[in-house]
Amino acid sequence: MHSELANFINSKVSGAGAVFEEREVGDHVIFVDPAHIFDVSKTLRDEKDFKVLQVITGTDYLDDKTIEVSYILATFDPQNSEDDLILKVKLDRENPELDSVVDVWKSADYQERECYDMLGVNFRNHPNLIRILCCYDWEGFPLRKDYEAAKEYKGMTIYPESKNNSADQEFKKLSKADPGIERPRW
Amino acid sequence: MSNTKTIEIGGTPSEKLKTDLLTINMGPQHPATHGVLRIEIKTDSEIVSEAIPHLGYLHRCMEKHCEKVDYRGVIPFTDRLDYLASMSMEWGYSMAVEKMLNIEVPKRAEYIRCIIAELQRIASHLIAFGTYAIDLGAFSPFLYAFEMREKVLRFFEELSGARLLYNYIWIGGVWNDIDDKQLKRIGKFCDEMEEEVKKYNELVSFNKIFVERTANVGVLSIEDAYQYGASGPVLRGSGVKWDLRANRPYSLYSELDFDVHVGEGERGVVGDCWNRYFVRMKEVVESVKIIRQLLDGIEDGPVMGKVPKVIKPPKGEIYIRTECPRGELGYHLISDGKKTPYRLKVKSPCFTHTSMLPLLGEGQLIADFVATIGSIDIVLGEVDR
Repeated sequence: MHSELANFINSKVSGAGAVFEEREVGDHVIFVDPAHIFDVSKTLRDEKDFKVLQVITGTDYLDDKTIEVSYILATFDPQNSEDDLILKVKLDRENPELDSVVDVWKSADYQERECYDMLGVNFRNHPNLIRILCCYDWEGFPLRKDYEAAKEYKGMTIYPESKNNSADQEFKKLSKADPGIERPRW
Repeated sequence: MSNTKTIEIGGTPSEKLKTDLLTINMGPQHPATHGVLRIEIKTDSEIVSEAIPHLGYLHRCMEKHCEKVDYRGVIPFTDRLDYLASMSMEWGYSMAVEKMLNIEVPKRAEYIRCIIAELQRIASHLIAFGTYAIDLGAFSPFLYAFEMREKVLRFFEELSGARLLYNYIWIGGVWNDIDDKQLKRIGKFCDEMEEEVKKYNELVSFNKIFVERTANVGVLSIEDAYQYGASGPVLRGSGVKWDLRANRPYSLYSELDFDVHVGEGERGVVGDCWNRYFVRMKEVVESVKIIRQLLDGIEDGPVMGKVPKVIKPPKGEIYIRTECPRGELGYHLISDGKKTPYRLKVKSPCFTHTSMLPLLGEGQLIADFVATIGSIDIVLGEVDR
């Protein structure tokens, strides 16, 4: 069904460049051109009855220097047995920018904010693109593969040395005093 | 006297009297927000003119942690998402990995999983029922609910060794077998539960005060439910007959006989707080019905399938959704053929439901807003992940 869907997208939205990618295991996906994501979403909602946007999520591919953003759609139609669709776009990792689909599905509001928060994808025309899970002044995007956790936040040390797994430290002290002591096994 | 005359209290504000919205913070430590949710409310006297949820107080970035541990090690993390329905959380993840690896789960394990998940649904709905009554000012229903929930937790403790975070459903099956004595006890629990629900309905559901507080409050239309991506009891409360267990049957649900209940508007209009609440009570009875069928049909056999020692799913991705007590939970798992997941995204129903709060809250009384939050039944562990 999804291979027909790719043809359908291409016929309706010119330049969408929908490519159906068949996978050996798991779900098949459809890639589209990021510049036309808004039109593609609108067409799918209005004409193919994909009335629910389940989730927008991104994946960082460090080697390919791309970020893939997935839109998972559903019809919620009892008659339609194959209704999950994974729609993907490939973005440049350095400057990921994409049109917002908040006007198509309102659930995109929080999902896009999360995607921005975690991966730093900028959604154009989003009404309120601020962080949602991290604090509002957090730096860096945690789910990028090259992210390094901050050592300090507003002068406070994150994970101070003294608070690291005290049971292990107790064991170290004990084993220094008596090298024959064995680490407890659970 | 001449000064006070310019201010007319109760009449139209004169030019000298400045009116403004008052901003108050509900939460992060507030009993009605069911955890650490902060809602910034702009109030016009008693009326909510704008509600802005601020999330993230329980954010642990579980998705990042999962990229560092092997596939089996992810299961304890999934427990901590919706800590009131841990078994259902584990099940979805296990199913996703099993589908990727093409592992066949033994029949007995499937039966045990279904029984456990339905018991978990009952326990979770009991919390929703009890805490909702507390939100609205009734304390005793909470005690009744916890008495019954305790029985489920005791049973889970015998089975898995833990009361809340079980790590019981494993990839390929379940950790431990159930013995016949325990199955008999579940049967007894089902009988008790059916009687209890009748009591709850008398005590709370059709109580005049409760109905007055919840009927016609926080109405969610079908269009908005779809637009905001609602699922589970919230969607069914709006009158949409959609349940993954019936419409996209997974595991044993295709062999079972049960009804999908929707809000019918016995009190109030379809889509209000009362209907969302009552769908849950009907679902408890339905779960009892499902468990009885499973207890009749359970067969002997192993509880663990053939699973490779090192789990390495082939390259690819999968999206699995299951019907959890709070809605549809989805796992989007991307594998690059290594020992650890490349990316695991959790689609949490509570996160999408939280995004409806500004819509539902606008124009409500503050007390009604509390009733609305309770009827959506969010768990912050799942919202923030």
